[in-house]
Amino acid sequence: MLLSFVRIVKFSIQDISRNVWLTIATVTILVLALFSVNVLLTVEMLSRHAIEAVKEKVDISLYLKSDASEEQISSLRSQVSQMSRVKKVLYTSKADALRFFREKNKDNPEVLTALRELGRNPLSPSLIIMPNSADEAPMLIDEIKKMDSDIIESRDFADNALILEKINGITNKVKEVGLFIISIFIFTSMLVAYNSIKVAIYTHRREIEIMRLVGAPNTFIYLPFVFSGIIYALMSVLIIIAIFYPFLGLLQPYLEVFFMDYNINIINYFLDNFWVIFSLQFVAVSLISVLSSWLAIRRYARV
Amino acid sequence: MIKLINVSKSYLKNIEILHDINLYIEAGEFVSLVGQSGSGKTTLVKVLIGEERVGGGRVIIGDWDITRISKREVPYLRRQIGVIFQDFKLLPKKTLWENVAFALEVCGQSPAKIEKIVSSVMRLVGLEDKKNRYPHEVSGGEQQRTAIARALVHQPKILLADEPTGNLDSINANEIIDLLERINKFGTTVILVTHNREIVNQLKKRVITIDNGKVVSDQEKGKYLL
Repeated sequence: MLLSFVRIVKFSIQDISRNVWLTIATVTILVLALFSVNVLLTVEMLSRHAIEAVKEKVDISLYLKSDASEEQISSLRSQVSQMSRVKKVLYTSKADALRFFREKNKDNPEVLTALRELGRNPLSPSLIIMPNSADEAPMLIDEIKKMDSDIIESRDFADNALILEKINGITNKVKEVGLFIISIFIFTSMLVAYNSIKVAIYTHRREIEIMRLVGAPNTFIYLPFVFSGIIYALMSVLIIIAIFYPFLGLLQPYLEVFFMDYNINIINYFLDNFWVIFSLQFVAVSLISVLSSWLAIRRYARV
Repeated sequence: MIKLINVSKSYLKNIEILHDINLYIEAGEFVSLVGQSGSGKTTLVKVLIGEERVGGGRVIIGDWDITRISKREVPYLRRQIGVIFQDFKLLPKKTLWENVAFALEVCGQSPAKIEKIVSSVMRLVGLEDKKNRYPHEVSGGEQQRTAIARALVHQPKILLADEPTGNLDSINANEIIDLLERINKFGTTVILVTHNREIVNQLKKRVITIDNGKVVSDQEKGKYLL
């Protein structure tokens, strides 16, 4: 059994080495297919993070009148807190608002000068209301719109839902295009793998003929070609690992700038999920190659 | 023992290659199967090695009815029937020894057993001293002897020789026939498919003549009739 396996591997390596250019072509197509899969995976991971980040930012601000007393504000705050769709209510006093404003504009002397010249705190206190989930935000906005209170000066409903919708839309489009590209690559990979095995069979036609003549088991005749398919898969996954991490290294600085306030590390994501991602890809590519090899063997090696 | 009972074979609807063939070949016989090109000899060889299935009738080899042999069983049949052809079917990039060993390697034999069997068949065909040569470095007769050695590694009960002397000069052809006779003396049934009149007449053994897919003559110690 072990002896036969060793001989099958030997014959398979002979196939690959005798058709170097075909092997290169097949592995290149498989690598391109895997690259597109991994790019799609990256986009998916980033969009998931982006959506989470935006969702966390969904909030509603109620700007209160400057002369509202602390009791009135406290009463409004507890009224809002009791609403079923509200997760948290944060209060920013006039003094806090001024502090935040100064901090934010510390590099802008003109604004700070103007504020000093004004001689008073022009900012209003506010309540920042966070919904239980981003999906509940529209309903909560409706409820707050209907709320009647003398101390509410203005209401700011940043349209986060629209942003979420846009991100979801873009992500779905990217996924659709990605899946289309991947399906083209899978189809091309199958054709190329099929063709490579067909040529390998043609190169070995004399051996196959003799094997059949001398009573070699059918498994011994076709398994080297099936094994070649698995070797193609292994080579392509190893190459994609070697290529993709440097690619992520190039991408990471841009992502850090783009998602400045969020801790997104695409390299860590791929490192943490290394075995899952690449073993699944190896299994998938092996299945594609083995299926193509099997079809070519049935057609051309008459096993 | 080989038994063909009412065997017929057609490739297309109206083209019958073998027509109602009835044959009985005893174990250990030496039979020449003669006929002109296209008479059905090669189809009969293909039927015997399980490469072609018959359209009608039965084919029995020993105790085994191979009429409806499955693809899975064919390799086992091939190990019981050695076959040699006019074009030798040797691998050019392997030495003579490797060519013979290949037949055992692909059937999963251990290296020690391969060494033992190959040495013995190479001795039998008289190629011990040339075992490390490549096919292009030896004569046609020696290439055919290598093919015979390869056909013998599974110790088959039957040796089918399909035009084994077709590519050889008369000296080499006679050497091959001598070798086949020698193998026959060890008890192997030999079926020699040929249209070489001289060889058939020299042999003075059973001759079955096929013409247009039919057995037209079957003579003990016969001669080439066509």
